[in-house]
Amino acid sequence: MIQMFHVSKTYPNKIVALTNINLEIPSGEFVFLSGPSGSGKSTLLRILFGMERPTSGEVIIHGMRITHPRFKKIHHLRRIIGFISQDFKLLRDRTVWENVALALEVVGCPPQEIKKKVGEILLRVGLQERGRDSILSLSAGEQQRVIIARALVNQPLLILADEPTGILDTRMKEEMMGLLLDFHQNGTTILLATQDRELLQKFPYRVIPLQGGRRMDIIEEEVQEEG
Amino acid sequence: MSQFFRYALFRAFRNMRGNLFPNLTAIGIISISLLLASIFSLIALNFSYFLKRWEEKIGVIVYLKKETSVNEVEEVLTRIRELQGVESVKYISPFDAMAFLEDRLGEQRSILDGIRPKILPPSIEIDLRREYRTSAQIKELISRIKTIPNIEEVQYGHEWVETFSGLNHFMHLTQWVLGGLLLAAIIFIISNTIQLTISSRREEIEVMKMMGASPAFIQIPFYIEGLIQGLLGAGLAISLLFLLYEILLQSLTPLLKGWISPIPIFFFSGETIVAILAGGMVLGLFGSFIASMRVLR
Ligand SMILES: Nc1ncnc2c1ncn2[C@@H]1O[C@H](COP(=O)(O)OP(=O)(O)O)[C@@H](O)[C@H]1O
Ligand SMILES: [Mg+2]
Repeated sequence: MIQMFHVSKTYPNKIVALTNINLEIPSGEFVFLSGPSGSGKSTLLRILFGMERPTSGEVIIHGMRITHPRFKKIHHLRRIIGFISQDFKLLRDRTVWENVALALEVVGCPPQEIKKKVGEILLRVGLQERGRDSILSLSAGEQQRVIIARALVNQPLLILADEPTGILDTRMKEEMMGLLLDFHQNGTTILLATQDRELLQKFPYRVIPLQGGRRMDIIEEEVQEEG
Repeated sequence: MSQFFRYALFRAFRNMRGNLFPNLTAIGIISISLLLASIFSLIALNFSYFLKRWEEKIGVIVYLKKETSVNEVEEVLTRIRELQGVESVKYISPFDAMAFLEDRLGEQRSILDGIRPKILPPSIEIDLRREYRTSAQIKELISRIKTIPNIEEVQYGHEWVETFSGLNHFMHLTQWVLGGLLLAAIIFIISNTIQLTISSRREEIEVMKMMGASPAFIQIPFYIEGLIQGLLGAGLAISLLFLLYEILLQSLTPLLKGWISPIPIFFFSGETIVAILAGGMVLGLFGSFIASMRVLR
């Protein structure tokens, strides 16, 4: 599902966010991306979602070489990805329902289906009573659940989640993890960036540790390659 | 696909409602500028129709001396017929001239009471061949006619024709220059209004891009908005113009009646109206295209 070859990212302000990242995530796998704040997790996810271009290296997602200079189908890429991130803002002047429904409208979903799917996903995140409410009337945790609902309503093939449980209380955190695990069970590939140790300990999935923009688990190999 | 367009239309109307004042302003300005342009071209159109009709009628009138005898008239007619460029000649006796005047004056013919046909001079109307209607050739012909005896005066309209066709050329030229400027202004207005709509939707556009909306999905509502602005602007302009035309016609007709030979005043043909509406839509599309080029990429 995801392949990255020698991906590096230096921001215009000269900050080096990622250095020589290689990784491969097969279809259907659940993978954690861990690392302290500033280690490059968000940058990596933004590259996979086509929000940032790497300075060098190759990225292939679901057969699409998104780093190709003439790659123009970014909307095709995004249609298969559910992106859960604080970088992906909610429309504050719309209701909960409108925010979630928009994700289906833009891909040409018929109205009856939109109604059904939005109803279902709001139920799953426990916001079935809040559909008509404005985003502004929601708590931060509730807003985070709308972000999750919006990312999942389209049944994506790949979920990229950037600290999805960061601002949720324990009970909600478990429910959201349960939701992601349901998707995983149905074959969705998931890459979840988190600093939450508890989460990493509780779920027995592969962890890719990042630090200072490098993979900590394969740094030896890299040194050998270069030497 | 129909779902796609229904949704695009919905978004276009919602955008226009959200930006009602700029949209109405744009439509108003477009219709006023198109109105001015079409008033001008309608005048130019009628003027060149009038000129063409008049050019077709152009002829030379030869007034004969009052006491010319019938034989002498025959002589003059024969000599004129032989001249190059003369299509036909028609003798108008003082009685014919009197009858013509009475006919034209209608109810006001009493002005002519006590006037006897004798005081009117006999005349000859000369019709020219089409290819001899240039002013140089008319001058040449007239100098020949003047050599014929018994001729009092030769009248011809070539100076008028020259002035009029000069004016006609000028109007055509002005029409193009004015038209070009107005087109540029309209495109500018539409593209600015659409840019305004786009920036008021900036956040939503960003979010939709993140959701995998295709570029067409994002752009088409703005194209529709430009199209509607152009269409409504042009439609309003034509409606106003037609209203003005009717009012003008209503108030001019009684004035013209009975005095001058009736000059028909034309409105645009159905095809021209359709072309103006289509033109409005094309301008709208073009304006929104420029807007999306400038702010959507
Ligand atoms: N848009 C940006 N412009 C410049 N520097 C950035 C930008 N985003 C992140 N960075 C920098 O890149 C590094 C990695 O950041 P980030 O990917 O957000 O890490 P994490 O998500 O692990 O906290 C940090 O030093 C951060 O300051
Ligand atoms: Mg981060």
